[in-house]
Amino acid sequence: MPPTETLRPGERGGAGGSGGTGPEQTYIIRQSNKYYEHRDSQATAMSVDYSGQWVLLAGRGHLALQRLGQDDGSLRRHERQSKYEVSVAEFAICPSRKEYCAIATSQHIDIVRWGIAEPHYEMSLRGHTRTVTDIDWHGKDPNLLVSCSIDTFSHIWDLREPRKPALSLNAVCMSGATQVGFNRVSGNLLAAAHDGDLRIWDIRKGSCPTHYITAHLNRVHGINWSHKRETCLATASQDGTVKYFDVCNPRRAEKIITTMSPVWRARYTPIGNGLVSIVVPHLGRGENSLLLWSNSKQTDPICSFVGHTDVILDFAWRPNRESSTEIELVTWSRDRTLRVWKIDDNMLKLCEPSAEEEESRFEPDLSELRVPTPPEFLHPRSILVAASLPISTGDGACNTLPMARSPSFGGGYYRREEPHIARSLTDQPTCSLHHEFSLLNTNMPHVEVDTLDAIKRYACFKICAGGHTVILQVTFATSYPSPSAPPDFQFCQGTTLSSEVSGVLLKVLRCNSLQRVKKSRTCLEQCLRALVAAMKKRVAAVGGADRSQLLLQSPRLEGALSSTLHDACIPYPRTSGVHFNAVGMLTTFAQPVNNKRLTLRQHTALTPRTFSAINGSGLLGNVMATAQRDANASFYLQERMISGKPGKQRAIRQMNGSPVVHVYDTSSMLHISRSMAREFSLDKHNIAETCRRNGEICRQHGRLDLVPVWLLAELIATPQVPHETLNELVFYNDPFKKSLLESLIMHYASSGDIQTAVLLACLFDKCPTGGGAIMEMVSRLPPQLNLQISPYHTVLPLDVKSSFSSITCQQLKQLRSNSWSDSLDLEVKQVQPDAYACSLIRRAKVPLFDQFKRSYAEILFGWQLLSKRALILKHTQNMPPPVQGVEFVTECGTCAKPKRTPKCEPCKRPVLFCVLCRLPVKGAANACLACGHGGHMDHMMQWFEKHQVCATCGCKCLERTSELLALLS
Amino acid sequence: MVSLVQEIDTEHEDMVHHAALDFYGLLLATCSSDGSVRIFHSRKNNKALAELKGHQGPVWQVAWAHPKFGNILASCSYDRKVIVWKSTTPRDWTRLYEYSNHDSSVNSVDFAPSEYGLVLACASSDGSISVLSCNTEYGVWDAKKIPNAHTIGVNAISWCPAQAPDPAFDQRVTSRTSAVKRLVSGGCDNLVKIWREDNDRWVEEQRLEAHSDWVRDVAWAPSIGLPRSQIATASQDRHVIVWSSNSDLTQWTSSVLHTFDDAVWSISWSTTGNILAVTGGDNNVTLWKENTEGQWIRINYESGTAIQSKQPSLHPHSHSQQQQQAPQQHQHQAPSHPGPSSDSEHSSNLSNSQLSN
Repeated sequence: MPPTETLRPGERGGAGGSGGTGPEQTYIIRQSNKYYEHRDSQATAMSVDYSGQWVLLAGRGHLALQRLGQDDGSLRRHERQSKYEVSVAEFAICPSRKEYCAIATSQHIDIVRWGIAEPHYEMSLRGHTRTVTDIDWHGKDPNLLVSCSIDTFSHIWDLREPRKPALSLNAVCMSGATQVGFNRVSGNLLAAAHDGDLRIWDIRKGSCPTHYITAHLNRVHGINWSHKRETCLATASQDGTVKYFDVCNPRRAEKIITTMSPVWRARYTPIGNGLVSIVVPHLGRGENSLLLWSNSKQTDPICSFVGHTDVILDFAWRPNRESSTEIELVTWSRDRTLRVWKIDDNMLKLCEPSAEEEESRFEPDLSELRVPTPPEFLHPRSILVAASLPISTGDGACNTLPMARSPSFGGGYYRREEPHIARSLTDQPTCSLHHEFSLLNTNMPHVEVDTLDAIKRYACFKICAGGHTVILQVTFATSYPSPSAPPDFQFCQGTTLSSEVSGVLLKVLRCNSLQRVKKSRTCLEQCLRALVAAMKKRVAAVGGADRSQLLLQSPRLEGALSSTLHDACIPYPRTSGVHFNAVGMLTTFAQPVNNKRLTLRQHTALTPRTFSAINGSGLLGNVMATAQRDANASFYLQERMISGKPGKQRAIRQMNGSPVVHVYDTSSMLHISRSMAREFSLDKHNIAETCRRNGEICRQHGRLDLVPVWLLAELIATPQVPHETLNELVFYNDPFKKSLLESLIMHYASSGDIQTAVLLACLFDKCPTGGGAIMEMVSRLPPQLNLQISPYHTVLPLDVKSSFSSITCQQLKQLRSNSWSDSLDLEVKQVQPDAYACSLIRRAKVPLFDQFKRSYAEILFGWQLLSKRALILKHTQNMPPPVQGVEFVTECGTCAKPKRTPKCEPCKRPVLFCVLCRLPVKGAANACLACGHGGHMDHMMQWFEKHQVCATCGCKCLERTSELLALLS
Repeated sequence: MVSLVQEIDTEHEDMVHHAALDFYGLLLATCSSDGSVRIFHSRKNNKALAELKGHQGPVWQVAWAHPKFGNILASCSYDRKVIVWKSTTPRDWTRLYEYSNHDSSVNSVDFAPSEYGLVLACASSDGSISVLSCNTEYGVWDAKKIPNAHTIGVNAISWCPAQAPDPAFDQRVTSRTSAVKRLVSGGCDNLVKIWREDNDRWVEEQRLEAHSDWVRDVAWAPSIGLPRSQIATASQDRHVIVWSSNSDLTQWTSSVLHTFDDAVWSISWSTTGNILAVTGGDNNVTLWKENTEGQWIRINYESGTAIQSKQPSLHPHSHSQQQQQAPQQHQHQAPSHPGPSSDSEHSSNLSNSQLSN
């Protein structure tokens, strides 16, 4: 049968033997063997003890025990007082502690021992800062249990030392832990679920997880380790899948069960090869939600357990100590009934893989991705399953119904398989629209398929979600699903949406389709799902009408993962601060924070770590979500409540002390002073005299400690031998003076008195008289000019025309530095490096001292003493700014490496030859930016006085170079 | 020792989280939980010159850019945004740029040394660091992100000063090669990480582990050119640790400055890099200085005498040094001669901010 035909809406009803809406069943349906009704119980958690005799039902108001062996159905109730719901209760699973159970309420875990008459509270485990979401006992060591919480931590507790966790596993992530479980085989591994991700820890090395598994797209509700294979576990998630993982191969799931609704729990059967899952159905679509699956067959459940009329909150295995082939399943539902189901031998046998499937397990990649061919669906075994069911072993309420409601295998059965195929297939590029339609899951919640026309290439859907109806028409281009051809979405008549909302929804659709189509994948199903999700969210955001549904999907965690979680990662706000600015001014503020006002969640001596410690910060979470808030309202809850009346705001501020900032001048502590900086002299005509004057300035400003230093400096500067000034070399070669001066400067620099250090460094920088000429020269040069530039790095004059004149055969490259400076029209001057010869400062120290000078210059800049700054900068030799403007780099003709020198050292030959005289160029050179020909500056000038074109190639060098330069600037 | 210049009533409607003076010390910017940033004259206790509104949540930190780019201020907030403000006059502020590519609260901003241009680093609770650079010619901003810089979140960020100590004091080392941009960041994973820009990418260069709780603040000491680098880090574990390295920034040694009574969350280096100001959950502001022996001593700015925190009897100056330096060394041991009366009057004011709680 061609796939498109099976999906014709008209034919659907006819093909499905069991009638209109329900999917065809090919599995056993069972009623419970026993049930107990407890109308008045508010229990939210359930657990079965080791012996299998007692069931604990724990709720806010009471703990209750139900004995399973007896049929009276009475409940032993024990009142407890708590304002919080019990989030989880677990009996110990080791026989030596079988009368113990752990009950988590809010942040605490109570360990309760069941005595003969009543429970005894043994201890309380306190360590979590947020609601505890799950507990698991260690399977081997009776003293260990693990708990996880919204605060992202998983704590392992040793009951012999209950005061603090024996080990804290810090899952550094945004989302709190929702589930945790010890490995059942070794007990060394531990899995914790954070949103859709799993972290696998080895408790022997608890510093960081051993594996990260990105398991699901949505929150993981259940983790269960295999009872047989050490590294295997199954996870159940909100995204409607149950995945089997091997932690040794965390990249992909081994097997996936896909359902249409969120899966709340999935647990391996303790014996046999099965797995039981709880599916949380969408509101109003209550279908049987407790399913037994075979671990080797993910397409269909083996058995469905029916009877509960509301969401199943939890289930547990009741070990049957006598028989090793039978187990019982105990479930507790929101319909306030406790049901017990027997899973007998026969059923477990069905879970065992057939020989054929066993074989295919060795090639999971193929089996999962392969398009199942029809014969495989019509596998005789599945018929066998349906036909050979044990008919009613009936003890009491037991009611086993063999259901083989699949009379027509053809179309009907085929369709039953569709969702699963669709899942595995849509991840691969598909060929045709026919194919995509054929694979489309027609049983998507909230979506009704009106038309699927692969020939006219369009499809119509009716989507009812969040109180709105949308008639969606999707048109597919012929090239679909190529990256450039997303389908076209239109809302047709009958859509009950405002134009604004429909705009948003259309955008959602387009985004989703584009994402898929980009990878040449089909997108229809993804788009529909996204649309449904968006519609629900939209409505929830507007009116919260669908709240009940949200509650339903997460019966236990409602509200627990609120927005405050964000704040757990944000540090606690500073209430005081310090800040130094660039010129030694200190800003401080400190607010006396009244802890009562802030109502911290935890009263500890220390300031809390995170923002979430503030009670009111839930408000902030809301801000995160909507990014809208009254600008005048205060952020911290209680204050906000008072400030509801605007007139009181001032009063509050006065009460709390208004936030005051102090500005201090700490420059004296930093040994720098603006007024001294203004007065200090750097007159070098008579250094000794200058030193004396500077010493006097220090004395006037109260820096008496500096007076002897300047005296010393004066001594250094005073020539010992008369007329020595005429022979500076002798004078300045005095080794004692040199090292004294250097150690003085270094001392002041390292102790932070940069002012004194720099003044000394500047004063003795160059010889007082002989260096005068150089000094002048330096001062004429702009500070940007780097004296390290080799003269061969021609800085190209802006006035191009006047300077151009010839040719080279070498390739010339041009580089442009970051910015243009005004120094472009300067010629490079080389200052004799011998300026240092008569300096008291060794040349090796010059770069360091220049750094000091520049730092001090920056402080002077901050003080806005610009002329003083310029004076200091005059004394620096190594200005760091790199060459500015156009720079030529010549490439060596032999080794083809760019050279900045006139000669290529490795090749031992000059790099640049003049195109006119054919001789190597060592001095000023110039070249055309367009053709690269050039050479000696004066040759070029001569040439271009008479010629317009290049001497070699006929390029209009002058014009083109000036054009290029214009482009650059 | 320190003189109070001005006491400014910010009149913020909620807690102040940061206050910073501009480069010249003329303008003060404060930011608060009321979602606003206010600008004040630092020398007049007037009303705010300007109130910058744009954030929808508490503003955690402000940072001034170097004045060569104009009057530019950056603020970061709980609302996941970073806003760069620019002013023509101290009263007129406009939004120059808004960056909202973080998924959680932005906790810290810092402008790079001016040598690198107008570059801003932002640290966010989403675990990433953003480096925003502005092409001042065209006013175009370019953002680079370091994803997963710290798990859980990044709490603080600071730039390495541009004048990286010149390794060999060799004149021939070109400035071009030594201009490596570095950042230090501290996060909720208790780590301090040093990042280096390597061909347009930021790579983790060093990972400094010593804190046992969230790192709340980091500060790279300004350099005056000495061949050493220092980084101070403050943590929830009540320690302030000073990390020192020689010029090549490969070996970092840590020394605990002091164990405080409460979590420490704000530290700042003086310009010359020799004084460290610290404050934390106990709202006390303390100043610390390293003596010539390499020990950190607390400067008691009220009485003007230094209190040795660890080894009380140790005499800090070595006798082998020349006598002429002795007065200066005394200055270090006892950072001030008892100041004029006006000074002590002011310094008692400084303590007011502590005493008032």
